[in-house]
Amino acid sequence: MSVLPTPLRPTRPAFLTRTTPVARLVAGMTWLLASIVTLDPMVPVRLSVAALVALWLWSGLPLRRIPGRLAPLGFAILSLTVFSILLSSANGDRTLATVAQFGPARITGPAISAGLAIGLRVVVIALTTLLVFGPSDPTRMADSLVEQWHLPDRFAYGTLAALRVAPFMAGDWATIGAARRLRGLQPRGPVARVRESGGRLLVMLISAIRRAERLALAMDARGFDSGVRRTHFRVLRTTWRDWLTIAVACAVAAAALELPH
Amino acid sequence: MKSARGVRPATGKVAPPAIEAAGLGWTYAGRSQPAIEGLTFRLEAGRVLLVLGPSGSGKSTLARALAGLVPHVLPGRWQGGLRVGELEVAQTPARLLGERVGLVFQDADSQLVMSRVDDEVAFGLENRGWPLSAMESRVPVALGDAGLAGFEARQTPTLSGGEKQRLAIADVLAALPGLLILDEPTANLDPPGMHAVFEQLEVLARRREHTIVLIEHRLEAALRLADEVLLIDDEGHQLAFAPARAVGREAIELLERCGAWVPRAWQEAGAPEPAAAGRRSVEAGTVLLEAVGVRIAYPDDECGQHVALDGVSVSVRAGERIALVGPNGAGKSSLLLAMAGLLRPSAGTVRLRALPRKGEAAGPMRDPARLRADEIAARIGLVFQDPELGFVARTARDEVAASARVMSGRDRSADAGHDHGADGVLAHFGLGHLASDDPFRLSQGEQRRLSLAALALRPPAILLLDEPTFGLDRRGTEAVLRLLEERRTAGQAQILATHDPRLLPACDRVVALDRGRAVFDGSPDAFLAAPPYDPAGPWRAGVAAGVASGRATPQDVTAAREPGAG
Repeated sequence: MSVLPTPLRPTRPAFLTRTTPVARLVAGMTWLLASIVTLDPMVPVRLSVAALVALWLWSGLPLRRIPGRLAPLGFAILSLTVFSILLSSANGDRTLATVAQFGPARITGPAISAGLAIGLRVVVIALTTLLVFGPSDPTRMADSLVEQWHLPDRFAYGTLAALRVAPFMAGDWATIGAARRLRGLQPRGPVARVRESGGRLLVMLISAIRRAERLALAMDARGFDSGVRRTHFRVLRTTWRDWLTIAVACAVAAAALELPH
Repeated sequence: MKSARGVRPATGKVAPPAIEAAGLGWTYAGRSQPAIEGLTFRLEAGRVLLVLGPSGSGKSTLARALAGLVPHVLPGRWQGGLRVGELEVAQTPARLLGERVGLVFQDADSQLVMSRVDDEVAFGLENRGWPLSAMESRVPVALGDAGLAGFEARQTPTLSGGEKQRLAIADVLAALPGLLILDEPTANLDPPGMHAVFEQLEVLARRREHTIVLIEHRLEAALRLADEVLLIDDEGHQLAFAPARAVGREAIELLERCGAWVPRAWQEAGAPEPAAAGRRSVEAGTVLLEAVGVRIAYPDDECGQHVALDGVSVSVRAGERIALVGPNGAGKSSLLLAMAGLLRPSAGTVRLRALPRKGEAAGPMRDPARLRADEIAARIGLVFQDPELGFVARTARDEVAASARVMSGRDRSADAGHDHGADGVLAHFGLGHLASDDPFRLSQGEQRRLSLAALALRPPAILLLDEPTFGLDRRGTEAVLRLLEERRTAGQAQILATHDPRLLPACDRVVALDRGRAVFDGSPDAFLAAPPYDPAGPWRAGVAAGVASGRATPQDVTAAREPGAG
């Protein structure tokens, strides 16, 4: 019984699947920066369109599965946008025209555009993350960080091992909930519910720590971080594709920022 | 650059080392009793040593010592001497030992690191600084040696349990260890997986390229491979070190005391088959739980949905014990969850007999998914494969009292009574001395018994168990069966999902699932006589092997090792 959906993997070779993960990371950062330096909502709109085009043409990811994957973010984006609009400081500026009025709450045009910009940023972040991490599996990202950026082995591969254990934790969480219901634990009211979640979380943490201890021992037994200089089974080299990806990403970010002028 | 020593020839096989223990002992930090003490033996190079002992006797500690994890990674106190080849373990850096020793653990899922098979095999080589060209030629060879040729590009989560365990063996073989240690490598596997792992080990053992230390409960399969046997008792003391061929009558008694599964043909004539001891015919009790035409489908990104169960019907009566069998992924766990009302079927119904109202003989049949948690807890108990996940309290006593507390609600005055009752239950389950212990610190067998004890103060009418004997030795299994039998004679309905063919004779009925469909429903004898699976399929071969190790006469072994003949 799996609670987490199977990971999104490229179904065909594509331009971005042949780039190295750190190159995509750099390229992605330019878009994230571009989307947060301005409150113009058109910038994240243009970047989102560019990201969708890139996902469609160059990521190799199965397109029809992407909306399902991003759906859980929909609520977060919506509520972030609404609250950003309601709580914007521009609403207090009496020189601006009122666009809408809900009781004491007054909403101005600049508040709406700033709120939209903030909500759309999350869309850009989500799509860019897919472009950066989607085209290769997490192992390649760890290889790339260690080989090209010389991050410590212990950090990169330790994180990778933790990632591999995550689906087991999700399974444990569901099983613990089921087991506790069958023991007759059904909290009534918010306080009891929070206490019950605490108990459930504690059991999951204990089980996760056990699992981590066993994994760490197995990694030690296989000579991980034993002082020998580690070699690499996957050799990742920076190619023209990486430079092209970064250059195009920079150009798109610049265009998205400067088009209005 | 100091990397020069990292380069080593890929063909440089390490010769298998001899192992010599002289008064070896180890006490973990924070424990008063040593885990092992006074082990003294000498295993010649290239031989296979089988280590036998009850759960918790320190077998794994010996494995860790041979790999240098003890004393170099885990804290504690070392005694005596242990030599692997010319290396004295306590004085050799773990890194040097690690190059010669490969250690395979019990749980495959917590020893695999990478998500792709070839990355996984290369991981240990990368750690040891192998050059790329050597790794590229070594990885496919190691996979082939473990019976996984051509698996390079597979994703590890998609492998079966047996395949994962063989991958773990490939991982350690890749680094060309002279000494291979396997710590209960098949304890968590279904019969086909176990069979495949043992087949592969036999190939390795015959080659004599490795010294092998095997820790295993399944004597029948393991003795076939072994040259020598080391017996350890409850306290981690050495009972015997002898050639496997000389395992005689007195050794068998020792083995039985150690909780090993001794082949049937070796036991005294007339000794009761442990699993069959409580067998009897069913009296027609009332139907307590039934599933009719249940279909369960999980959403699946790749192909729309994965159908776990497709039109399965089962019903269980009071006082009846049903074994639910089938290969991995057949839908056994899904069926148990659906019958407990924890998974809602997309088609079909599950009905549970609720408590009768006053004046009625039998209660109405209700949908368990619609009952309140306390109502359902009063009717159904479910023991999960991993009992730890179901624990709700900080001490064993509270764990047992918790269920009774649910019934009496917020009435604190009843607590003392529950605690008193809980102590009685714990004593009955052989856990009396552990009443104040943290449930999470108990051994696997103790946890399993505690999960049953937790249901005892207010026994449910229906008990569902998922793999109740996973990872247990014979003593543990017998203890669980004894407790189940007590409840059944009191009228409890029981469904056991199990891979263990040795449990079948203790059941009234066998229901077999295969790929989500019920393919057999009948007596255990009829099932064992003709398992309803593809005769060429691995499951049947596994059942046959499993049955042989528990019940049938193992001709090939007894011919070579008649009791007392050595």
